[in-house]
Amino acid sequence: MSTPTKSTKLEHYVNPAPFDPQSIENMTPEQEAIFLASQKKLMWWKFKKHKVAVFCGGFLLFMYLAILISEILAPYALETRNSKFIYAPPKALHFVHDGEFVGPFVYKFKRSRDPRTLKRLYAEDTRKPYPIRFFCSGDKYKFWGFIKGDFHIVCPPEKKVSMFFFGADRLGRDVLSRMIYGSRISLTIGLLGISISFTLGIIIGGLAGYYGGWVDLVVQRIIEVVQSLPTIPLWLALAAIMPVTWSPIVVYFGITIILGLVDWTGLARAVRSKLLSLREEDYVLAARLMGASPKRIIGLHLVPGFMSHLIASATITIPTMILGETALSFLGLGLRSPIVSWGVLLNEAQNINVVALYPWLMLPVLPVILIILAFNFFGDGLRDAADPYG
Amino acid sequence: MSRVLSMLAKSCAAIIGLIIFAGSVAWAGEAPELASLVEQKKLPPLEDRLPKNPYVVDYKKEQKTIGKYGGEMRLLMGRAKDLGQITVYTYARLIGFTPGLEMKADILESIDVKNGREFTLKIREGHRWSDGKLFTSEDFRYYWEDMIGNEQLGRAGVPSTMRVEGEGPEFKVIDSLTIRYTWAKPNPAFLPALAGPSPLYIYRPAHYMKQFHAKYGDEEKLNEIAREAGSKDWSGIHTRKQRQRRPENPDLPTLQAWRNTTSPPSQRFVFERNPFYHRVDPDGNQLPYINKLIMSIASKGVIPAKTGAGESDLQARYLRFDNFTFLKEVEDDNNFNTYLWSTGKGSQVALFLNMNTNDPVWRGLMRDVRFRRALSLGIDREEINETIYFGLASPSANTVLPQSPLYRDEYAQAWAEYDVDTANQLLDDAGLGARDEDGIRLLPNGERAEITIESAGESTEESDVLELISDHWSNIGIKVFIRSSQRDIFRRRANAGETLISVFFGINAGLASSQLSPEELAPTAQPQLNWPKWGQYFETGGKAGEPVDLPEAAKQVERYNAWLIAESDEERTRIWHEMLHTYTDQVFSIGTVNNSRQPVVVSKKLQNVPEEGIYSWEPTAFFGVYRPDTFWFKK
Repeated sequence: MSTPTKSTKLEHYVNPAPFDPQSIENMTPEQEAIFLASQKKLMWWKFKKHKVAVFCGGFLLFMYLAILISEILAPYALETRNSKFIYAPPKALHFVHDGEFVGPFVYKFKRSRDPRTLKRLYAEDTRKPYPIRFFCSGDKYKFWGFIKGDFHIVCPPEKKVSMFFFGADRLGRDVLSRMIYGSRISLTIGLLGISISFTLGIIIGGLAGYYGGWVDLVVQRIIEVVQSLPTIPLWLALAAIMPVTWSPIVVYFGITIILGLVDWTGLARAVRSKLLSLREEDYVLAARLMGASPKRIIGLHLVPGFMSHLIASATITIPTMILGETALSFLGLGLRSPIVSWGVLLNEAQNINVVALYPWLMLPVLPVILIILAFNFFGDGLRDAADPYG
Repeated sequence: MSRVLSMLAKSCAAIIGLIIFAGSVAWAGEAPELASLVEQKKLPPLEDRLPKNPYVVDYKKEQKTIGKYGGEMRLLMGRAKDLGQITVYTYARLIGFTPGLEMKADILESIDVKNGREFTLKIREGHRWSDGKLFTSEDFRYYWEDMIGNEQLGRAGVPSTMRVEGEGPEFKVIDSLTIRYTWAKPNPAFLPALAGPSPLYIYRPAHYMKQFHAKYGDEEKLNEIAREAGSKDWSGIHTRKQRQRRPENPDLPTLQAWRNTTSPPSQRFVFERNPFYHRVDPDGNQLPYINKLIMSIASKGVIPAKTGAGESDLQARYLRFDNFTFLKEVEDDNNFNTYLWSTGKGSQVALFLNMNTNDPVWRGLMRDVRFRRALSLGIDREEINETIYFGLASPSANTVLPQSPLYRDEYAQAWAEYDVDTANQLLDDAGLGARDEDGIRLLPNGERAEITIESAGESTEESDVLELISDHWSNIGIKVFIRSSQRDIFRRRANAGETLISVFFGINAGLASSQLSPEELAPTAQPQLNWPKWGQYFETGGKAGEPVDLPEAAKQVERYNAWLIAESDEERTRIWHEMLHTYTDQVFSIGTVNNSRQPVVVSKKLQNVPEEGIYSWEPTAFFGVYRPDTFWFKK
């Protein structure tokens, strides 16, 4: 089409394409996909963009899968003790022996004692490599306390040749294996605790927010009282109530309940304030006019409205629980041996000897830090994703 | 020129003065600080401060060197109550042990014993309290008549070591320096009690204490002061002001080498030299050499770390054997030596089965010798030794050590080998034959045999040993729970019969000779964790507690009473052996290992501390018999 000039008359033109009155509003398939996507899908897309969060999520998933098979993953059983390897330092994993590739192997430890300081000394005896065994039978265990077995993914080469990659403790037990077993308790205590505080928080906060008035008033004051109590002394007091004769597993549940009971307040507040604003929405009024019960309104219409927010805040609370358990056990008031958690392991490491001579016993700090960081990044990503239009 | 001359003249005069001074008195040496006080007339001269006949420490025999004055000795303690440890360390007693463990008159000039029942105590002439007032027989009379003889102060009665078959002594003041105690029958417990680490104090500074005593003051007024201070009547104040073991009252005159100058509560207590102390070195220098003791309170857990950082000049308390490696590694950086002293305990960690526990089923078992023997046989002492004591200790029952003249192999080995089969057999016989599906034995009433072992929560050494024991006992079908609390609660629970098994260290008399009291082997005191109620019964003369109703234990009490009145050493030795035999054969307490070592940290500058010694409560009073007043700092 040429530009019209003064001299020529405008040429008659009819667009052969059919008229589409919605052409402006039409979208590309990509745009359409976004437009039609469910909220979940949008959240996922948004979440995927947060690379660190994705990575942390994967790490957490791996850790939680690992605790399902702690017995198989750990090279030693929980209570395997060898007085010949007391305070043995971490052992190096080798691949090449005498310039030849052998595959993963360890050397034997030569033990001696420093005559002056009486310190146990361990030196590698590099004469002979001992290849590590894979998919092997090793220490006996009871899988989840029920099924007897002895299958491990990695095993020490021989009974007399140790394979303590993270060193051994004062009774000659493998620190790595104990950390793997400890993760089972330390990681689940957060989940169990959060489910208690979640339930309490949603119910109590929901009631306060929905009804308002004196219910709200009472709940708010209770929350203030609970929050004003310093947590550590409160934990200590509650932990001290538990009788010593309780088996460690009952104590474990006791601790989760304690952590949950102390922690619900923040969540209840969040639920309440969300509900206060949401209950004024028209769709709530509509539901009420249609005769829906408060239970149905809260459960079906209100809570889903900010569920994503709840999940994100829960993810951020789990680390608090894990830290809580670690702190309690570290102080010797939470779990105690024979139950093993990271806190229990750290409790055993709190003296000058460990700091000065056997620093590898402080390694359980590492997973605590990693897990907490992972949860925080993961929660961060979730929170961003929870509001996909934002 | 004239200046030089005058200086010369001055120094000549000083030298001449010194010669005259040295010539006029026998005892010449005193701390420069005190000398300057004497010059300012704030303190009487040395010859007026020392007794006429001071105690001369035998440096040749004790292998000590003449020291130099000065310096501050820093000590670390775990709680304010440890103030009492200083009185143990300083160890000035009426009569005390020498490093060779002989008894020798110390504060007293002499002590004369006739027929084991008549004790004549002679005070050193001119011996003075730390405030300069004379120490006389009035101080003994005050204790006996105005405290023990007083209705309000003497409520607890005559101390048990001053009673023979319930009867106290006849007390007599002969002159201002001589006192006599006479019993109807011999009282061999008297002198060891005076020489003890926490001794029997049969004297008080009367001139000071009288102001708090109703007999010498206005009772109304004293009561009023007492009520304001929160006590019921004047006796409360009197009790608080007179404490000898724990020198909490800075105003209280003392006879020890250093006196406390800080009132509690405090985190740091400063002890200053007692200028009237009665001991001198062979050159006539008044002891102590060290100016001040600084006792700092720190959390028990960090004391090894602080010691390692060089914050203590003399430390053994709260150091554990497994700190040795750490201390040895840092000793050169922080200028101290780490020695290993032997310990005098009968067992490093011992288990005490409470035969007075409230639970009738458990009580029955605790009193069953088969049960006690089985538990003892069920412990693998070799593993404990290897794992926790570097294999340097020796597995043994809770009894005397091989260094003791009373030692016999049969005592140490009594029911002390690891023999699971015999243990299981004994438990089956004791009525614990039935087991549940976990392999845990069932009590006669059908409950699981789950025992809680309680500890005072003071050392991880205990909990490590317990961890091993709980493993060992699982092999004989006994499940163990460990509960750690705090020393006072721990004691209270045991005394009330709420405890099943307590863990503590073994008998203190590990190095006993026949002259030392065998009281720990018989129910004679409430703090004995295996029979607190029987002990209380004995202690209170039947006013509280429960009478002994186990024949073997009752027999021990009889033997102890026989020891008290025994007249010859052979007889005492014979009784000791009988008691040791019964105690170990009956397994009245379960020992683990003994003859372990105690790390002792000594600053490299601190002299006269022996490299090898015995670190025990009795008879060495920890550092007491090694005389910290003779320790000195090399510049």
